[in-house]
Amino acid sequence: MPIRKRTNVAGLVALGVLLLIVFSTIGTYNKLIQLDQGVQAQWAQVENAYQRRQDLVPNLVATVKGAAEFEKSTFTAVTEARAKVGQTTANPTGDPAQFAKAQQAQDGLSAALSRLLVVVEKYPDLKAAENFRDLQAQLEGTENRITVERMRFNEAAQAFNSRRDSFPTNLVAGFSGARFQPKSYFKAQAGAEAAPAVKF
Amino acid sequence: MKRVLVFLLVTLLLVAGSLAQGTLSLPHAPTERVTDTAGFLSEPTRRALSAQLEAHQRASGHQVLVWVGKTTGVTPLEDWTVRAFQAWRVGRKGLDDGLVLFLFAEDRAARIEVGYGLEAQVPDALASRILRDTVIPRLQAGDRDGAVTEGAKQIIVALGGNITPGGNTNAPEAQPLSGVQILLLTLAGIGFIVLAIRNPRLALYLLMIFARGGNGGGSGNSGGGGGKSGGGGASGKW
Repeated sequence: MPIRKRTNVAGLVALGVLLLIVFSTIGTYNKLIQLDQGVQAQWAQVENAYQRRQDLVPNLVATVKGAAEFEKSTFTAVTEARAKVGQTTANPTGDPAQFAKAQQAQDGLSAALSRLLVVVEKYPDLKAAENFRDLQAQLEGTENRITVERMRFNEAAQAFNSRRDSFPTNLVAGFSGARFQPKSYFKAQAGAEAAPAVKF
Repeated sequence: MKRVLVFLLVTLLLVAGSLAQGTLSLPHAPTERVTDTAGFLSEPTRRALSAQLEAHQRASGHQVLVWVGKTTGVTPLEDWTVRAFQAWRVGRKGLDDGLVLFLFAEDRAARIEVGYGLEAQVPDALASRILRDTVIPRLQAGDRDGAVTEGAKQIIVALGGNITPGGNTNAPEAQPLSGVQILLLTLAGIGFIVLAIRNPRLALYLLMIFARGGNGGGSGNSGGGGGKSGGGGASGKW
């Protein structure tokens, strides 16, 4: 009788421990899912800002073209950079190589657009035109939005990564295979400090 | 083991707290609609505009603030303003319908920071026009009060409100608490004392929550606690 009682207790303890492990694993998994969703949502915000810029480009090029026909190479560079952006993966948050490639394409477009604005300096009439100034304000606002959303993306990615790599969450992440890859970060653009500032 | 875990948790919380504070030290959330830390505006103008913005908020719900500082330091203007906007929680929770007109006297820089919820009413091009056609020319001419008042007025017009020109005829200055507000506050005070006697621990807990909320809860009765901006708006220099 006493032996049987002891096995009962041991069994209960084992069951308790098992349940504890199961529940904490579920909790950890769900927390990771939640943080992952946070990263995805923030990525969507980054894409929104990108899209906004994409939509602005044709209008901007058309406006500048009218006044500055001789700057063909600048227009070509912008158009090519924009096309390159279109070729990148839609959602590269889980793939560092694709992520870097997408960022490179976007940064290329940034650079081409800022060169376009530098060229405009040579055309005072265009610079003073109200519709150009509005477009310029929109472009500046959009570039700023991209910066802000990238910053928030990095924050979300950091929250995910530090959770993912901490013990014992890393075990759960390990069991889940490719589901929870570490997220890449946006890095400052090479030579970003030297990028021409767009000022009135 | 448990002690170690608790220690780790506390450390983690402290680290997370200091990270959230960031390296950038921002001023506390303003308590009035118009804040001037640089001695930029005349006091009557500041007070009149504050009352007008408050009246506008009561009517439309949109929170419009004016903040005059000295400088953003080494931090880029746009970075500073978007963080301040978030830290101050301008606008209503879930709507993000706030807007701040920032001026930095020593940097000679101005920015209109628009919350997510007002991007449709105040697109970048419009914010830019308000700055370059109204605010900056006046500042260049030395008319500081006029620049800020007129700029804020155009912002409010863009938000669908109207402001009585040049005055505060329908907006009482430094509005005192209304009778209803006093009654409610008294009732809340009595309720809290009763709670403190019957359940001191809960009272203390509530007090801590309120103290924390007051720290970052936007301005006064704004019902702040939401505001996020996605970096929309425009900047300019004078």
